[in-house]
Amino acid sequence: MRKKFSSFMNSKYILIGLSALCLLFIATSFFTDRLTEPLRNAVSAVVIPVQKGMNYIGLWVSDKYDTLQEMTRVLEENKNLQECVDSLTEENNQLKQDSYELSRLRDLYELDERYPGYTKVGARVIGTSSDNWYSTFTIDKGSDDGIEKDMNVIAGGGLVGIISEVGSNYALVKTVIEDNSYVSGMLIDTGDTCIVKGDIELMDTGLIHLQGFGSNVTVRNGDKIVTSNISDKYLPGILVGYAKDITADSNNLTQSGYLVPAVDFGHLQEVLIITEKKESH
Amino acid sequence: MKRKAGELILILAFYLLQVTLGSVIEIGGIKPNLLIILPVLFGFLHGKNEGMFVGFFAGFMYDIFFSGLFGFSSLVFVYIGYFSGVFYQKYEETEMLIPLGLLLAGNFSFGFLSYIGNFLLHNRLNVMYYISRFILPEIVYTLLIAVIVYKPVAFLNKKLEPRNKRRMSKVD
Repeated sequence: MRKKFSSFMNSKYILIGLSALCLLFIATSFFTDRLTEPLRNAVSAVVIPVQKGMNYIGLWVSDKYDTLQEMTRVLEENKNLQECVDSLTEENNQLKQDSYELSRLRDLYELDERYPGYTKVGARVIGTSSDNWYSTFTIDKGSDDGIEKDMNVIAGGGLVGIISEVGSNYALVKTVIEDNSYVSGMLIDTGDTCIVKGDIELMDTGLIHLQGFGSNVTVRNGDKIVTSNISDKYLPGILVGYAKDITADSNNLTQSGYLVPAVDFGHLQEVLIITEKKESH
Repeated sequence: MKRKAGELILILAFYLLQVTLGSVIEIGGIKPNLLIILPVLFGFLHGKNEGMFVGFFAGFMYDIFFSGLFGFSSLVFVYIGYFSGVFYQKYEETEMLIPLGLLLAGNFSFGFLSYIGNFLLHNRLNVMYYISRFILPEIVYTLLIAVIVYKPVAFLNKKLEPRNKRRMSKVD
């Protein structure tokens, strides 16, 4: 009996079987999320809590690391005050740790004030995308916390992106710097519309494309670009970034250039999710 | 059974390291592809079937949260595991260059296929840029990590072997 079974375990048959299975997955994922959704939920039940834990450990370590760096600096400065160094560093440690937390929370609060019209939920970033091609990330709130697909995500003064997928205890955020991201924007003072387009080839410069201005529009460096009122997913008036080097295109009908994002995408730890959606307007 | 469970836990651990630690250890926006290491090593150390098994689940984890095309990485990883398994027992376990070479080939084909799917079909024709900026750095970084994890994984592979089988393989 055992021998018979093992003859079916010929690696070529397994290869064919697994290939067929994968092709089936690929084919279905073209059309629907039905198949992957239960799988995702099952895996996320295991993975997300662990990820959250690891994230907290990471934050704790980086906090400790920061405070350690701070401590050595203080020690150097106070070489002649050896006797009070011990008590000072101890106190300094504690205060620094608190103040990091405070300044981060204060930033979030300030942002909260700036867009007072929208109700928001805070969330922590707990994971980044598994490959280098995309800058999607995971946050620790999901449909259990009232997060839905297409909700806008902001942080540190500007637009981060949009919720692209939601599980019960996590959500994926697609950022505006991602290669296939298009956001409809406008100049804050005149309301001239444009398109903000992510591009992976500009990754090293920290810029993204800004295009589609009419030829009669004057755009200066540093002009604020906000999400436009004609966008179908983004709420109007959220700061996306600042215009840079806008020049006329070769067709002489449009102008394009670059945009400096308002958000520092390299160091995102907390984000705010606007729980209002555009459709409800 | 113990073996499969051990491998699944290892895949889960590598996945978690990839998504949480990845952003910490990335250099110039490039992080290593930890999950692709597993099918290569298990294929090389324990045969085609094991390589395919590990490849399927590693690809599954790679895809499940962050891919528009669910199943693509699984497919590629299964083939990488299979072809690594071709070299099973043909070389000594200490010949580290063979799995590293396999990893290089596997990671390059995976990166290139991803480029075709994600970018070439979107009219991004700047092939050399993508190879030199994304694919090659990722391979180098991944190889570096593979050198570090090779010995522990080989040790674990031996540990997961049932005891009587271990004795039999000694008789061979």
